[in-house]
Amino acid sequence: MRYRTQAVAYPYFVVALLLYGLQMAFGLLSAAKYLGPDPIKDWLPFDVTKAIHTNLLIVWVLTGFMGGAYWLVPEESRTELHSPKMAHVALGLWTLAGVTAVVGYLFGWTAGNKLLEQPLPVKLAIVVVMLMFLYNLGMTIWKAKRLTTTEGILMAGLALTAILYLPSLFEFDNYTVAIFYRWWTVHLWVEGVWEMIQGALLAYLLIRLSGIDREVMEKWLYVIVALTFISGLLGTAHHYYFVGVPSYWLPIGGFFSALEPLVFVAMSAYAYQAIRRSGLAHPNTLAVHWTLGSALFSALGAGLLGLAHTWPSVNKWTHGTLITPMHGHSAFFGAYVMIVLAMISYAMPALMGHPESQRESKIGLWAFWLQVGGMFGMTMAFAAAGIGQVYLERVLGFGYLETQAKIQVHFLMLVGTGILFTAGVVLFLWDFFFLAPRQRVHSDAAAQAAPTPA
Amino acid sequence: MTRRQTRFFFIAGTTVFTVIFVALTIHSHTRFAELTHEDAITADVIAGKHVWHRKNCINCHTLLGEGAYFAPDLTKIAQHRGEAYLRQFLQDPSRFYSEERHGRLMPNPRLSNQQITEVIAFLTWVSHIDNQNWPPRPILVTAASPQGIVLGTPVPPAASTDPVALGEALFRRSPPACFSCHSLQENIVLVGPSLAGLATRSAGIVQSPDYKGAARTPQDYIRESIVDPHAYVVPGPTFAAGGQSIMPPFGTVLKPDEIDQLVAYLATFK
Repeated sequence: MRYRTQAVAYPYFVVALLLYGLQMAFGLLSAAKYLGPDPIKDWLPFDVTKAIHTNLLIVWVLTGFMGGAYWLVPEESRTELHSPKMAHVALGLWTLAGVTAVVGYLFGWTAGNKLLEQPLPVKLAIVVVMLMFLYNLGMTIWKAKRLTTTEGILMAGLALTAILYLPSLFEFDNYTVAIFYRWWTVHLWVEGVWEMIQGALLAYLLIRLSGIDREVMEKWLYVIVALTFISGLLGTAHHYYFVGVPSYWLPIGGFFSALEPLVFVAMSAYAYQAIRRSGLAHPNTLAVHWTLGSALFSALGAGLLGLAHTWPSVNKWTHGTLITPMHGHSAFFGAYVMIVLAMISYAMPALMGHPESQRESKIGLWAFWLQVGGMFGMTMAFAAAGIGQVYLERVLGFGYLETQAKIQVHFLMLVGTGILFTAGVVLFLWDFFFLAPRQRVHSDAAAQAAPTPA
Repeated sequence: MTRRQTRFFFIAGTTVFTVIFVALTIHSHTRFAELTHEDAITADVIAGKHVWHRKNCINCHTLLGEGAYFAPDLTKIAQHRGEAYLRQFLQDPSRFYSEERHGRLMPNPRLSNQQITEVIAFLTWVSHIDNQNWPPRPILVTAASPQGIVLGTPVPPAASTDPVALGEALFRRSPPACFSCHSLQENIVLVGPSLAGLATRSAGIVQSPDYKGAARTPQDYIRESIVDPHAYVVPGPTFAAGGQSIMPPFGTVLKPDEIDQLVAYLATFK
């Protein structure tokens, strides 16, 4: 840790990971409900557990992004953070808003708009926190008079995240128009400005982990974000299929969203180049795993599996089926969960105050492989269930309920692989909260014990 | 390429595509009113949209294919099931479905009668949005066997003038989506009575002392049931509410010759 105030990132990571754990509980509960019958459906129905599952994801990933930014910006700008106190206050307000939203959902307090269920007061609190956050980091950079490309892209991504949240504050009487602008927030977040954030964090991590020349990495970072917007802006159109907008959005959506995988291919190539040129001998093996994992898994989940159902003549049949969560789960995990966990893993030794080479990585590696394997299994379970649903319900014309009964076995797979995944998350949390803080003690003891001849 | 060039590529590319996106958005706004029949957005439809959001419907159901995947798509439900059925269903879903038989059951949404009226108005409006004819074939909540009978798009031979063939094609078209409530298999009840053996049963009904309608032949009885479902309600647990059939009358949905064709087809079920 080069700057004392980078430690602000730690409480952000704590909140992020606690919410990640909670997200798993609601995810498993939601998956179990697919197996039915559901004895608790009258007081904790699927719509509530599912909304909490997805909202926790958004909140904790954003918390992780903010923590990552608080870690990265002082280092890049070579200065202390403008106001650590403001960062702590913002985190408090943010956590309060997040917890209020989740508890509110349990009691039916919801705006009921998919992924943007937050009631208006919560939405406003989120805007306030985002502004505090941007002000704090903006002032840090301003005072240092030093802005690197990497942090510039990161900050632009975070600022645009705040700006693109604004359309969700408006109400439209026409449901189709409401859908149209809902995607300005949701799509342009996850397939636009969040990719800027992912790209910037990836660039930072690759530079640090491989020691590759910054000039090269930042040059290609521009290409990656350029591809993101060239494909992703008009790629929004793939959410405009069959919702009551003009027909020209269909071919536009097909063409440009077919280009979206290029971004992820570019990120994979980017990581590959870094390894080829400079090797990856960095002692923080966990950070290396999560960083490369993010580059590769997002190419599969966000890139390839998005492409699988994005063409209009395919989507005509898959629209509104379990094919969508197949893509959704793997895309979110690969692109955003993994990059946040990479940042956390990278910052961890410094935050805990022990040298990277002494970082015990066994449990951490189990956490990595269980999550990667579990998510791959869940993706396959959703894919099999989705393909079955498309064929039985959409092509053959079985009823929805008969179809769901026939694809039960895949929900069993979903729950099974979900448990594996959750085990990986639990190990990550265990490592973060219990093993890492004690590591220094262990290594001191080991160092003392070593010279003693047997 | 240098960093300057790639930065230019980023800024120029993003700017160009932002401009195109905004321009298309503005153009779309000139089309929304027509595509979504904005003139049909009444106060009830807007209130119904609020009910839809407040009750978090979208986190189980899809609407226009968007939402969650735990419950059926509702884009065309108002056309498939009709107002009377939806009202009964929303008052108490467990009257029509059970977890034992169907695997899943919707929890009672606890809506007032007014809210039910509003959300049905909303779903009815949605069902008429011009959305590129999606879904390509009807998505059903339940179906005894693949959409009643055979695979493929139900289009009668172009030259056919056989009323039975035309009636069969009509039966499988949506609307009227007869198959979404009536099975053609004996003893399989989706929502309304099975239509297996309809002609034979109709002959019995018109003879029966319980029957107070005007029909004297099976054909006339079938016609009467389509145009005025309340004239005679087949006894059954879910077929009626307060003595009134939950089937919507189809006299205004179908043309007179279409009703003739449908009657001709249904009268073949001996």
